[in-house]
Amino acid sequence: MFPARRPFRPIFPLKSIQSSISVAFSCLILVTIAVTSLISYRLSVDAVEKNSQNYIEEVIKQVNTNIQSYIDNMENISLLAMTNKDVKYYISNNSFISEEERRPYEKRISDLFQSILYTRKDIASIMVFGYNGRFVSDRRITSLNPNAKIEEQPWYRNAKNEGGKSVISAPHVQNIIQNEYRWVVSLSRELKNTDGITADGIFLVDLNLSVINDLARQINLGKKGYVFIVDDSGNIVYHPQQQLIYSNLRTEHIAEVTAAGSGDSFTVDDDEGRRFYSVQDTNFGWKIVGVAYAGDLIGYKSTLRNSILITVCGVAVSLLLSVFLSHRLSRPIRHLQKTMRLVEKGNFDVKTEVGQMNEIGQLGRTFNMMVGQIKNLMQEIIDTQENKRKGELQLLQAQINPHFLYNTLDSIVWMAEQKQHEEVVLMTSALAKLFRAGITKDQEIVPIRVEIEHITNYLLIQKMRYTDKLNYKLEFADAILPYRTLKILLQPFVENAIYHGIRNKPDVGTVTIRGKETEDAIVFEVEDDGVGMTEERLARIWETPDAHDLRRGGIGISNVDERIRLFFGPGYGVRILSEIAEGTCVTITIPKVQT
Amino acid sequence: MRIQRFTLVLALLLLAAAVYAVFYFKLYQASAGQEKTVTLLLKSKNVRSDFWQTVSAGAEAAAKEAGAVLEIHGPLQETDADSQAELLDEAIDRKPQAIVVAPIDDERIVRELQRAQAAGIKLVVIDTPSKLKPAPVSVANNHLEAGRQAGMAVVRATRDKPYLAIVSDFKDSGVSAEREKGILEAISPYPASYVGTYYGEDSEDKAYEIVKQALARKPGLNAVVALNEAAALGAAKALKEKEVTDRVTLIGFDSSIYQIKLLEDGSLKAIVVQKPFNMGYLGVKAALQLIDGKKTAKTTYIDSLIVTRDNMYSPENQKLLFPFNEK
Repeated sequence: MFPARRPFRPIFPLKSIQSSISVAFSCLILVTIAVTSLISYRLSVDAVEKNSQNYIEEVIKQVNTNIQSYIDNMENISLLAMTNKDVKYYISNNSFISEEERRPYEKRISDLFQSILYTRKDIASIMVFGYNGRFVSDRRITSLNPNAKIEEQPWYRNAKNEGGKSVISAPHVQNIIQNEYRWVVSLSRELKNTDGITADGIFLVDLNLSVINDLARQINLGKKGYVFIVDDSGNIVYHPQQQLIYSNLRTEHIAEVTAAGSGDSFTVDDDEGRRFYSVQDTNFGWKIVGVAYAGDLIGYKSTLRNSILITVCGVAVSLLLSVFLSHRLSRPIRHLQKTMRLVEKGNFDVKTEVGQMNEIGQLGRTFNMMVGQIKNLMQEIIDTQENKRKGELQLLQAQINPHFLYNTLDSIVWMAEQKQHEEVVLMTSALAKLFRAGITKDQEIVPIRVEIEHITNYLLIQKMRYTDKLNYKLEFADAILPYRTLKILLQPFVENAIYHGIRNKPDVGTVTIRGKETEDAIVFEVEDDGVGMTEERLARIWETPDAHDLRRGGIGISNVDERIRLFFGPGYGVRILSEIAEGTCVTITIPKVQT
Repeated sequence: MRIQRFTLVLALLLLAAAVYAVFYFKLYQASAGQEKTVTLLLKSKNVRSDFWQTVSAGAEAAAKEAGAVLEIHGPLQETDADSQAELLDEAIDRKPQAIVVAPIDDERIVRELQRAQAAGIKLVVIDTPSKLKPAPVSVANNHLEAGRQAGMAVVRATRDKPYLAIVSDFKDSGVSAEREKGILEAISPYPASYVGTYYGEDSEDKAYEIVKQALARKPGLNAVVALNEAAALGAAKALKEKEVTDRVTLIGFDSSIYQIKLLEDGSLKAIVVQKPFNMGYLGVKAALQLIDGKKTAKTTYIDSLIVTRDNMYSPENQKLLFPFNEK
């Protein structure tokens, strides 16, 4: 199912733990910082946008409220005029007011309008036009512009059409008063007679456009942001760049604004830049729109710049930190490595510092223990080798024991003098075979057959020397013949049996040498019926042979025992049983070593 | 060795980060840190001059749109070349990135503009062409086209039988010459349509006299084009006096409250109005484009609009005739 897994091979093989750790740290830090800064950037941008949208909405609501309050105020003035009895009477279509009576009415109404105007700086003018041709304004003497046809003015026509409802005009130049051309927003309303059905005239209140203009201009929506107003049919009521729009030098997103409901906002992103539109409806049909550019929202850029600077600094510091940390973490490892290299070169006397008991500390401690053990083992091997060599030397000495040689040669001479030729030949050939067996072969272990031959030759010589004192018996099982044994294993024990056991015995002694197979070993026994040994002597036998013994060419029992153990292991060796006046029995156990 | 190599790589990485950061902020500051500075030098900064106030408003609109810093200066009188030269001198010393200037026709102004060019300040000339060589980027009213529009209006009003007189100001006025040329171009297809051009020297009385005499000498005269306000007022007075306002078509240039009143009462048939807001706006916009190193048209012409009694209160024309300036 899965493809055979190839061994992992990194693109940039990192050879030290330090670099691996630093790279891992750096990647971790970089990725973490990148991800967090990306997320925080997104979040902060979202937050800024949301906040600014809320802010714009609030501001536009405020503008809306203000404009609304101006309009409401005009509405109230119109209500006041509507309910005023003088006004009603003055414009009502009755003929009982004579020309002389008109003046006080005119004066009273004009005074009323004037007092209203006096309290309201935002109102430009208040006027009433009766269908009966009568006309009053807030001024005592008003001359109307003879060229301006009042009936054709939009505010007049619309109010008439609406029949009693108030009408708000778009900003326009009011030209009905002679020599006055003021930008105003007009509220007009048809006034009804007391019966509430017959229309008597039109009432007009003009609001200075500068009020709305100032209001819109003072709104701070960033450096480039602005406020504009459209009416319900999408015509621009107010726009700071109205002339540019009329000249087609600039376009405004009127369609979207008209489609948007009150409180809606939308985002526009074109070559002029990303900007937010926030729309608020007034209750008289205008839509007030705030536009703010995403680019110059307060604090937006400087915060971003700071956060990027902090991020870069943070990355730099953390990269340095990662180098430092990885250096610190890998220092004990490098120390251990250095020590190991010394050990590699053969210096076992070093010891690495064990710092904290962490993994590396434990590693160091184990390493120290290991080095100690190796050192001990090496010493042991050296000692063993030394002992072995010593044993071999002694073995060699034992073989060519000079006393034994003199004695044997003496015996041969003596036998020759006696003219016992056959015996001389027998003894000389036995002696020759004896030496050949020991010297010629280099190997440490030999077939048991060779060892038997060797000990037979030896005993032959001794028998000829101690004819009437020594008897010997050889009892080797045939089963042991295929196995091997250490060479010259038995001679020292036989020698001991003859020299210490039988020679001191008054009558004839017998040495019996047996070889048999047990379940998992081969056992040799050298038994004599000589004088036997005391406990002390038995104990002394195990000690290393003294100078005298060595000179004599004797070989320590302990040395043989050690030789067996070194060669075959601790499970094998020599055991001695001895009884005074009874004899001694030496048991030698060796493993079964196949030819 | 290994550690050294790694440290090297890391150091390079850090260096790259540092370079990136520095580079980033350099770019950043170049784009946003430094605000563009533009100085606008008008012929007049008089608050009573609706024309120049509207130019200022247009210039401010352009500056706000681009987030640039705009300074506006100008002498009180349109003919005060001395103080304009002085203001220009001061403006150059403040070293804005660009100067938008409506130069008064004078040698000193040309010298100052040369100094500005030498200082590496971008120059945009608005309203009146400058004698500066090489010619700087200019944004101006197309007076020839405006004259042509006036001529066409006369042709229409006289039902293809124009017979007109032109009341100009001075012979050496560049603007008036252009307008005159445009008018003559418009009526050239019609035979015997041109009475002559008279120079009223910016005086209402002289224009009045000129038109009175012209009416007396040429009874067939059916149109007068007044190239400036004084000429229009004088001509209107003469026409009213002779009670021939219905028969003789009078066309004026530029808006003022007096001309508007003449338009309302019908003695002026039409006025050709400029768009000073657009001039200010496009002038500053051209300057900003020069700062950005973008290509700009050598000359940008602003068209004029012909306003008659019938359309003078349309939303668009109201804005042009009655500039709404914050005073």
